[in-house]
Amino acid sequence: MSYLALDQVVKRFGAHTVIDGVSLAAEQGEFVVFVGPSGCGKSTLLRLVAGLEEVSAGDVHIAGRCVTDVDPAARGVAMVFQSYALYPHMSVRQNMAFGMRMARAPKPEIERRITEAARILQIENLLDRRPRELSGGQRQRVAIGRAIVRDPKIFLFDEPLSNLDAELRGQMRIEIARLHRTFGATMVYVTHDQVEAMTLADRIVVLRAGRVEQIGSPAQLYDSPANTFVAGFIGSPRMNFLTGRVAGLEDDAVRIEHPAVGGVLRVPRRAARAIEVNAPVTIGLRPEHLTLAEAPARLALAGDFAENLGATSQLYAQAPTGETLTIQVPGRESVARGEALQVGFDPARVHLFDAGGQAI
Amino acid sequence: MRRPLGRGLHGLGLLLTLVFALFPFYWMVSSSFKAQADLLASPPVWLFRPTLDHYAAIWADQKVTTAVVNSLVVASLTTLLAVVLGTPAAYALARFEFRGKADLWFWFISNRMISPIVLALPVYLLARQAGLLDTYLVLVLIYLTFTLPIVVWICTDQFRAIPPDLEQAARLDGARQFDVFWRIYLPLGAPGIAVSAIFSFIFSWNELLYALVLTRRDVQTAPVVATSFMSGYELPWGKIMATGTLIVLPVTIFALLVSRHMIRGLTMGATK
Ligand SMILES: Nc1ncnc2c1ncn2[C@@H]1O[C@H](COP(=O)(O)OP(=O)(O)O)[C@@H](O)[C@H]1O
Ligand SMILES: [Mg+2]
Repeated sequence: MSYLALDQVVKRFGAHTVIDGVSLAAEQGEFVVFVGPSGCGKSTLLRLVAGLEEVSAGDVHIAGRCVTDVDPAARGVAMVFQSYALYPHMSVRQNMAFGMRMARAPKPEIERRITEAARILQIENLLDRRPRELSGGQRQRVAIGRAIVRDPKIFLFDEPLSNLDAELRGQMRIEIARLHRTFGATMVYVTHDQVEAMTLADRIVVLRAGRVEQIGSPAQLYDSPANTFVAGFIGSPRMNFLTGRVAGLEDDAVRIEHPAVGGVLRVPRRAARAIEVNAPVTIGLRPEHLTLAEAPARLALAGDFAENLGATSQLYAQAPTGETLTIQVPGRESVARGEALQVGFDPARVHLFDAGGQAI
Repeated sequence: MRRPLGRGLHGLGLLLTLVFALFPFYWMVSSSFKAQADLLASPPVWLFRPTLDHYAAIWADQKVTTAVVNSLVVASLTTLLAVVLGTPAAYALARFEFRGKADLWFWFISNRMISPIVLALPVYLLARQAGLLDTYLVLVLIYLTFTLPIVVWICTDQFRAIPPDLEQAARLDGARQFDVFWRIYLPLGAPGIAVSAIFSFIFSWNELLYALVLTRRDVQTAPVVATSFMSGYELPWGKIMATGTLIVLPVTIFALLVSRHMIRGLTMGATK
């Protein structure tokens, strides 16, 4: 059995089903990220793992033990809250000691662990301060320190970086990745930010409305999204979607039509899902897979405007059907409004989805 | 408020309010130090030779000293019990869902709405029946019916303002229910607890109606004794003023002592 396993977990608040039959497994030492839009149930799922909420149905296993009916404190997990949840009336040292004091650990042992955690997080000089005397980034470190001191089986993070400014967020992200490498600890991390998910995760769980949309490594989700939701959610800027039609079927390819393509395009198949000729099809193209250079296939678009980001530029253009596309290209490109734009791509990079949004 | 004139007016307003509020207090205290002749002088004298005669008189009057001690005992016991019983109730009301919670809450709030005089006779009869007349117990019990709701009300509000994440963090840290209450809610709710304790104390200390109805000789409280001065042919102004000062003093000291805890912002830094 896996180190952390959820088995058909359901959570209802009254008549409202927030988690709708989620199953997943994570190995020891894995960094698992729950990602999804706000309100999809990420926090609730994390709290079900922590035991802060009771499951309505299903089971939670941690380290080979069924903990569905086990108290939060006895599950051996530590959580870093979005709000940090530091005890405001206690010093940093007391905050970090609280869990071990509750467990009646010997004083020297508590002191040793606090010193160790403070060294790792470089907060030794903050130990006697109160939380209100700390900056946001420092509070964040203390919250992580409090988790480390407890030496948990699993670390749980609920959007730990969302209250920090962009620069600090980047730093802390790297730091959390480093902590994971140093400790080799199992971590479950909730975020709505797909960049955090892509950079931190060994395995990403994409959630929508309380259901799992797809589970996989960042590369798997990026290369083979199972549906339009995952395709649109993972990757930045967002994948472009065009609505076309199936013109014909081959053994290992689909021929599609779209006015911007000017003719029929042969796209190699990625999934084995059945599709019929003449059925509508969603064509997915990532902005970074479009180019202004020569390429095996082309789209005829009308330029709209350009944004220069320094190293890259994002061009916005319209298909004859009115659909807007984003094109990400290196260097500084400009585009005039209405200017005819020939955009190249590799058909092997095209993602196809059926009318239900499932990859074909 | 940036213009000097605006500031001046603001300051003047504050000053007037302060004088209006504090003048009676000043008059009582200063009168308690005046000799009988100065007390009755018309127009009133502002400069006088202070005397401790009235304090000596009430100090010698065992009725007064006993009454002050009685008041202290009753008010302290009531306040202590109200806080000890009220804070766990407030915690439950603030953080748990249970059957009848709304009704209980309404009861706590609404029983403050009944005029005490309506209940005076039934309470008197009950106390007599139970043989509790003229005891500390009966006063403490009856005062609790007023002070407990105050504590529950104020503390529930205070506890609700404590971020629930703190309780959850503590639970993950292995804190049991009582630890959470004792180590998180009580210290963080201190401002509200202090305020409600002050109200409880002041209420019990000043209460006159029930004290008049339910006590005879042994546990007469200070306000009862103060009113008893007014039954003779002449008014012993000096004694009344000195007693009044003595009645106000403990409340003032108590309020000053706990005001440190009333400073808000203790929960700052808990989140974000
Ligand atoms: N204690 C609760 N009672 C009722 N509804 C809740 C409760 N907690 C969360 N929800 C609902 O569950 C849904 C998912 O919430 P949450 O897990 O916080 O989402 P996320 O963390 O993905 O933004 C939301 O619609 C929210 O309103
Ligand atoms: Mg959340």
